[in-house]
Amino acid sequence: MEWKREELRVEKEIGEPILVVENAMKAFGGLQALNNISFEVRRGEILSIIGPNGAGKSVMLNCINGLPGYRLDSGRIVFDGQDITNWPPHKRAHIGISRTFQKIELFGGMTVLDNVKLGRHMKMNTGWWDGGIYWGKAVKEEAKHRKWIEEKVFETCEIEIYRNRITGMLPYGVQKRIELARALAMGPRLLLLDEPMAGLNLEEVEDMTRFILDANEEKEWNCTIILVEHDMGVVMDISDRVIVFDWGAKIADGPPEEVQNKPEVIRAYLGEVEETYITRR
Amino acid sequence: MKLPTGVHFDNYEADHAWWKTRFVWIRMVLLLFVLLWVIPQFVGDYWLSFLNMVGYTILGAAGVQLLIGYTGLITLGHAAPIGFGAFACALSMYLFNIPYLLSFLIGMIAAGLLSLLFGLPCVRVKGFYLIMTTMAMQFITVDVILTQFLGPLAGKGRGGVLAIEPGMFSIGPWVIYSVKDAYIWMIIICIIVQVFMANLMRTRVGRAWMAIRDNDIAAEALGVNIVYYKLLAFFIAGALGGVAGCYWLTNLSIVSPEHFMFPWSLWLVGVILIGGVGSLYGHIFGAIFMTGVLEVVKLVLVPLADIIPGTMEKFLYIKDLVFGLAIILFLIFEPNGISYRWWQIKNYIHLWPFSY
Repeated sequence: MEWKREELRVEKEIGEPILVVENAMKAFGGLQALNNISFEVRRGEILSIIGPNGAGKSVMLNCINGLPGYRLDSGRIVFDGQDITNWPPHKRAHIGISRTFQKIELFGGMTVLDNVKLGRHMKMNTGWWDGGIYWGKAVKEEAKHRKWIEEKVFETCEIEIYRNRITGMLPYGVQKRIELARALAMGPRLLLLDEPMAGLNLEEVEDMTRFILDANEEKEWNCTIILVEHDMGVVMDISDRVIVFDWGAKIADGPPEEVQNKPEVIRAYLGEVEETYITRR
Repeated sequence: MKLPTGVHFDNYEADHAWWKTRFVWIRMVLLLFVLLWVIPQFVGDYWLSFLNMVGYTILGAAGVQLLIGYTGLITLGHAAPIGFGAFACALSMYLFNIPYLLSFLIGMIAAGLLSLLFGLPCVRVKGFYLIMTTMAMQFITVDVILTQFLGPLAGKGRGGVLAIEPGMFSIGPWVIYSVKDAYIWMIIICIIVQVFMANLMRTRVGRAWMAIRDNDIAAEALGVNIVYYKLLAFFIAGALGGVAGCYWLTNLSIVSPEHFMFPWSLWLVGVILIGGVGSLYGHIFGAIFMTGVLEVVKLVLVPLADIIPGTMEKFLYIKDLVFGLAIILFLIFEPNGISYRWWQIKNYIHLWPFSY
């Protein structure tokens, strides 16, 4: 079926900036988690944010997503020409920002299908009355979205066989996939992935990488992706651009090969190890 | 999700249906026949009124199930919308001579709005603090508004008791007069409420509620407007409470603030805890069990009274004791409630003679 996959793909082209972060500052108590960070994400690209633990990568993602407690102290976040700095998260979801979480945040007591249908929440419009009487409109809408989910989301993430299983009882790797599926079901324009490979084995990492590339390149999804990840192999292979954070500041920004060889980046990752040894000697 | 071998569907509508096989259809139609014809035909007034009490508990607990079981908003004041709905219905019939069905609707909406009003703090507070606000709803509504303001409006009686002439409860030509009428009306309302709730829980609104219950941060990131859905849950739960209240009025044709005291709120929470939290059968099983235990105690104790002197005098204490014991035993041996056990039994029968 390889030829079919190729047919589904779009010619990858990187366009104008879709998300712009300007001078973002965020402090938690005395800790400056984000220190004057500016960057932009261009339409159609996979942008990776890397950095040591506690560098502020997840904080940046949460700020873009607008989770409670993650409002910027100063600075601006502009998505597609709209200033979304102070928007609540559900409004941001409505303009096409979707995400997965570092620690899996699925609805454990519900079936996989219900989880993915929840991702479809804002594309549906059954109200409480229509839903309660379940006649005509609601029935049609449920079936329509079910068809879409089965044919597009489950097909892409390969989780058809789990559709009626209770999510909390599935293996970790599958749950990671379901989370991606739920994020994709929202039909996002910008997809924020917070460590999608964490805790997966090699085979699952390969699968996940393929799903991410599909989400980026297939006509159906065509998402712009911000990827926070520790697996350097994956990051260097699939990203178009890499940003490096250290102590809440941006220390590098550029194509993977360029970033890889920057002395600041190497120092940030390896720490001041060599100097320490030098002084010891 | 287990289907007999060979059953398959060609479209998603069929896969979404509640009753998927002919066997289930026949079973449900039989159940309906038993409920609506066999029972009123062959059961005496005493047990019919017992069933009416069960039905009232089901209707009351449905709203609690929606709030606690499906939205995760713990409420200890659900008797307030029930009472408020009953009083609104009674007053609109008594003072303005509004026909019964319309008054029923008024009672529902009034109860929903009351619940919505006291649900407003849920925008800011969570958990224990929300419990406090729902308790405030209980005490403000029942102990102040009903006894001091709404009760005396009728201008008769004392302690805010309101009585409606039994003949006034009429739907078209059908006058709900006898216990049997009240029973049939109860079954009809219960079915409507149950179907409505079941449908809500499998469509967009119900899923949003369950998402808020399970993980509100993820729900918000998925585009669920948490404030709106929490308030909607309060409104609909309140309206369901109003249904229960209006039915109670129909059943007794008298309504008093004393029927809606704090213990009744706690009782309803107990009903769903024993029946099963977050299950559509939970409040039904719970109501049958909680109301049934009383009758069983009575059946056992009355013959015993001849043998052991003093049993009848201590009846109330023994009743409370049995209750406490039942709740403790349930929490120890079946913390998921009766509905979970029911599900296990059903699975066992479906899969028999294999174990999986």
